[in-house]
Amino acid sequence: MKYAWKEIMFGKKKYILIELLLILLMFMVLFLSGLASGLGRAVSSSIDTMDADAFVVDDSAEQIITVSSVESRVLNELLEKNADAQPLDIQRMYIVKDRDDEKLNITYFAITPGSFIEPETTEGTGLAESDAEDPIILDDDFMLEGISLGDKVYDSSTDLEFTVTGFADDRMYGHTSVGYISTDSYTKLRKSLNPMYEPVYHAIAVRGDAEYDFKGNNLELVPKQEIIENIPSYSAEHITITMIVWLLVIISAVIIGIFNYILTLQKKKELGVMKAIGMRNSELVGMLISEVLIVSVIAAVFSLVLTFGMAAALPEKMPFYLEVPGAVTVTVAFVLISVLGSLLSVIHILRIDPNIAIGGGEE
Amino acid sequence: MSETLLELVDITKSYRDGESNRTILNGVNLKIEKGEFVAIVGPSGSGKSTFLSIAGLLLTPDSGRILLDGNDVTKISGSRRTMIRRKSLGFIFQSHNLLPYLKTEDQLAIVQEKEASERIHIDDLLNELDIADCRGKFPSQMSGGEKQRAAIARAFINDPDIILADEPTASLDAERGRISVEMIRNEVKKRNKAAVMVTHDTRILDLTDRIYRIENGQLVCG
Repeated sequence: MKYAWKEIMFGKKKYILIELLLILLMFMVLFLSGLASGLGRAVSSSIDTMDADAFVVDDSAEQIITVSSVESRVLNELLEKNADAQPLDIQRMYIVKDRDDEKLNITYFAITPGSFIEPETTEGTGLAESDAEDPIILDDDFMLEGISLGDKVYDSSTDLEFTVTGFADDRMYGHTSVGYISTDSYTKLRKSLNPMYEPVYHAIAVRGDAEYDFKGNNLELVPKQEIIENIPSYSAEHITITMIVWLLVIISAVIIGIFNYILTLQKKKELGVMKAIGMRNSELVGMLISEVLIVSVIAAVFSLVLTFGMAAALPEKMPFYLEVPGAVTVTVAFVLISVLGSLLSVIHILRIDPNIAIGGGEE
Repeated sequence: MSETLLELVDITKSYRDGESNRTILNGVNLKIEKGEFVAIVGPSGSGKSTFLSIAGLLLTPDSGRILLDGNDVTKISGSRRTMIRRKSLGFIFQSHNLLPYLKTEDQLAIVQEKEASERIHIDDLLNELDIADCRGKFPSQMSGGEKQRAAIARAFINDPDIILADEPTASLDAERGRISVEMIRNEVKKRNKAAVMVTHDTRILDLTDRIYRIENGQLVCG
């Protein structure tokens, strides 16, 4: 490690250029993975942050809450069995600020006010504490549309008036911001669209265990993570971007590998001499690996700083979301794959014939 | 214990040269005792380098035996060869072949074995070779003669039994070349080593104890 560092310090200019390239590559990887999870969260964060472990949906819904339908008696039966259960309806609609304003996408989450699936507000109060007839908690992205606490917003198709009682951060579903309303408001909304509407739930959110004959009632209990993966478009987007990220990690590693190989080729005579004077293969390979580690760890640190710095400066609406564990995973993978990428050079080192040191290398 | 440090018995080596086989060494015998400095001369292509490679455990002979301090090392494994080259052999090459990115003290420290560091001190060695002021210099900051002397220091750093020098004056002018070989001679005598030098520089042969000539694959005295 000591001698590898001396070699790097001796060839500073060369290594600074390599570092620069690696930092940019790594930055691109981290940035894309931030966008990947940001986009993922734009689809799923409302479910992800919900304090529920699983959801009851009907077994023909293919684990998609919005197309499921669960009779209200199921909720009562679950509650009788002491299950921690709450009804949930998810409905994509539009709201307007003023009656002739532009329509804004919204996904209503209809819940029981004060229940465990209600989000904590970052501003304002919860649904239960509000005096308004039809209160609503909005995702804080709506603030950027000029909506503030106490404002009235209207459902665009029914004209139902909601009073904004609170804001919660990071509540998205299928690329739209979520508004939390009470199940009563939701029933009112559905009845004004269709007077024959009979209250049924899309799903029932469950916390902890639930003893119930789901199968016999044509229902199933689906863990939260599966529900997220089955949100339309989530998997398709997620898999694509994740693939791009890992492809980039691998490409970066290949580039490091090639760089390393060129450097090793240039040092062929030097390495032959070192072998001739009795340097063990393990020592030479150790130096190479230390060099790769030093170079890639420096690149990793700088690109992490760069990425998180950039993230802080990004506009609010940009779907960028990079958690430290995720960034660390990508970074560690990058360092490991760089080491793997230098295996080609290792093989080259092992194959160098020390005899090239004798006779000036001509023979 | 015998005073013979290096013994080569009936060494043969041939190369494929296109269609035919060319025999470079054909039954070479050599015995070198402690404190002896031996020169091997011959025209280029005569097999001097091949001989040195075999003596230096860098090349295996087709037949014959190599004895180091009485032990047969002809057929030992690659990693043991490396270990013997590190601990018992000291190499001096045509050019200094120092690592460009290390200061002289690190050039020596990187190859020095722990047990040798108790017997040989880098400072003493650099003083004897008159390059103490090069201790903290990179090769690019040193003259040709100083670099070759640093390389000589590297050959002695592990207190080896045998020194193998491959045309050590090739990259130096006459005066510097002579000084370098004198230094090799002094170290060999002082530390009681055996040394083999391959050269075609006849001006330095008077510094050696015995001279061999390679002719038709045979080693001829004188």
